[in-house]
Amino acid sequence: MTGVAARRSTELESERGGAGIGVSVIVTVVERPEPLDALYREYAAALAACNRRAEFIFVAHPFFHELLEPLRALEQQGEPVRIIEAARSVGETALLRIALEHARGAMIVTVPAYRQVQPAAVCELLAAVDAGSDLAVARRWPRLDSRVNRMQHGALHLIAGRLASGTLHDIACGVRAVRRDVIEDIPLYGDFARFLPLLAIYNGYRVVEVPSPQHPSDLPRRVYRPGVYVRRLIDVLGLYFLLRFTEKPLRFFGLVGSVLAGIGGIALVVMFVQRLYGQPLGDRPLMLLAVLLAVLGVQAIALGLVGEMIVHFNAARRRSYRRRDSRPPGDSERRS
Amino acid sequence: MPLPVAPDLSVVVPLYNEEESVEPLVTAVREALAPVERWELVLVDDGSRDATVSRARSLAAADERIVLVELARNYGQTQAMQAGFDAARGRVVVSMDGDLQNDPRDIPLLVAKLEEGYDLVAGYRMRRQDKVFTRKLPSWVANRIITRLTGVRIRDNGCSLKAYRRELLDQLHLYSDMHRFLPALAAATANARIAEVPVRHHARRFGASKYGLSRIAKLLADLLTIKMIASFRESPLAMFGVGALASCAIALAFAAAWLWTLAGHGPVRGPEAPLTGYVFPGSALLCIALAAFLTMLGLIAEEALQKSRAEDRDDRIAARGARG
Repeated sequence: MTGVAARRSTELESERGGAGIGVSVIVTVVERPEPLDALYREYAAALAACNRRAEFIFVAHPFFHELLEPLRALEQQGEPVRIIEAARSVGETALLRIALEHARGAMIVTVPAYRQVQPAAVCELLAAVDAGSDLAVARRWPRLDSRVNRMQHGALHLIAGRLASGTLHDIACGVRAVRRDVIEDIPLYGDFARFLPLLAIYNGYRVVEVPSPQHPSDLPRRVYRPGVYVRRLIDVLGLYFLLRFTEKPLRFFGLVGSVLAGIGGIALVVMFVQRLYGQPLGDRPLMLLAVLLAVLGVQAIALGLVGEMIVHFNAARRRSYRRRDSRPPGDSERRS
Repeated sequence: MPLPVAPDLSVVVPLYNEEESVEPLVTAVREALAPVERWELVLVDDGSRDATVSRARSLAAADERIVLVELARNYGQTQAMQAGFDAARGRVVVSMDGDLQNDPRDIPLLVAKLEEGYDLVAGYRMRRQDKVFTRKLPSWVANRIITRLTGVRIRDNGCSLKAYRRELLDQLHLYSDMHRFLPALAAATANARIAEVPVRHHARRFGASKYGLSRIAKLLADLLTIKMIASFRESPLAMFGVGALASCAIALAFAAAWLWTLAGHGPVRGPEAPLTGYVFPGSALLCIALAAFLTMLGLIAEEALQKSRAEDRDDRIAARGARG
């Protein structure tokens, strides 16, 4: 899958004469967009200041069609801007994947369509990757924004931060620099692009955090619709399961199941003992609850067993480790 | 640089933060294997954060018989062992702990036993030099349970010193924490012939133990998995079918209790206990729902495994063909 993407982009490289481009800046336009031409100018100026030859790929949700107009003008003026509009409504991860197929640089910079940090941070991130990291992510620090924002940030980090075992402090920051072979090696699906640095750590890549001053436009208080919070919660839980239990589903389902079945079982035993001492069983709705819990527990454990079976039979085709010296797929020398 | 010719014997040692042990370990292996003509030592660094890697690198650079495999992060002992097995090229592979608690001088004993016609020879630790309550007791309990559940009689599953035939390792794929159940897994999935040999055991000289007491629940989950794979890898539907039947039997018992109350033996019925009539039939229905759920899950499991099982078989045939 990633191999195909890599090949396609090398073809593109020769077709479109992308030689000399070191950095592909990918701007995913999915939420809170700010004027994109201004965004482009700021980042282009920042990258020019540190002598990077960059191309910009704006990849947008169809909803933001209008916002792309000023960019089309820039494109016609010969600025290194390319615009990709998704044909249908897709999420940030899918947009990123689409953009990656078109990127020509050996280094990828991801930027959200809004400003989180000062654009000059990009240069520091690129320098960090040059210095040997696989991925560098900006950390908005010191934080100057509204208390509400910081509380949301803290809530996200309660779970997600633990997964990074304390090495990442700003998972929600979308300004990142990453080597192209690295980002192509990381399976990106669902809504997990948001957690790219975490996935990179999980896949054994070196990730560093670069503190950068927060951008003034990131300061005002942001409150989202309730649905957004629900989705975020599901994402984080999904990520937690993915990173902790992919190889051992029974540990997760077994824990849930044995707690449920345990409560149900104990209640049943207590009621049967009481029955022996004369209290009738047939008129106790509690028993219905106990049976229900036991049934749910058995279901959870059974699901975990199916998961284990799938893992077991796929183990032959899946290596659960990555060697430090191994080339990620897409490179010529591939480890079997 | 690796040896140009494939060695007869590969020794695989996972290392995690064992900076003091690396050099004595290599020396001990060299001395112990002096009589062996062609051997290699595969050191697997499991993302150590101390000087393990740099020391292992210089050792590997100085001796072509030493191969270093560096994992990208700390994955765990099972994954490190699998990485070592993947890199090992010997006809016979020996795995060993990196903390010097195993004695390399035992390697020839294991290999000799393997040559008698076994696929796997497991060491068991004589006069184990560990703390009684945190290490020996849980391990004794675990070994008893493992033997009981899997039917594979292994005295010491926790001992890493083991010898394997290459052909066996080609059929085993370790993941999660499965290295501790390797003999049981080998017997269940590859019909391995297994023998045991007593080995020496030394007290830990350097570093800290990487095991703890809080692993019983994980052990139980893993055991349940092994048991399931051992008994039902051919037919998951059978396993879920048994569960569904048991659930139906319980449903029948509830139905019987309901009929019994309907016949007038039950608790007092009437307006003061409006829920009376629902408890037994409700429980029976729940159990029937569980039976239906388990049956469908079994069907899904068969479906999901159909493809990977066929591929699994093809892989094995291919591996056998390649060995010729």
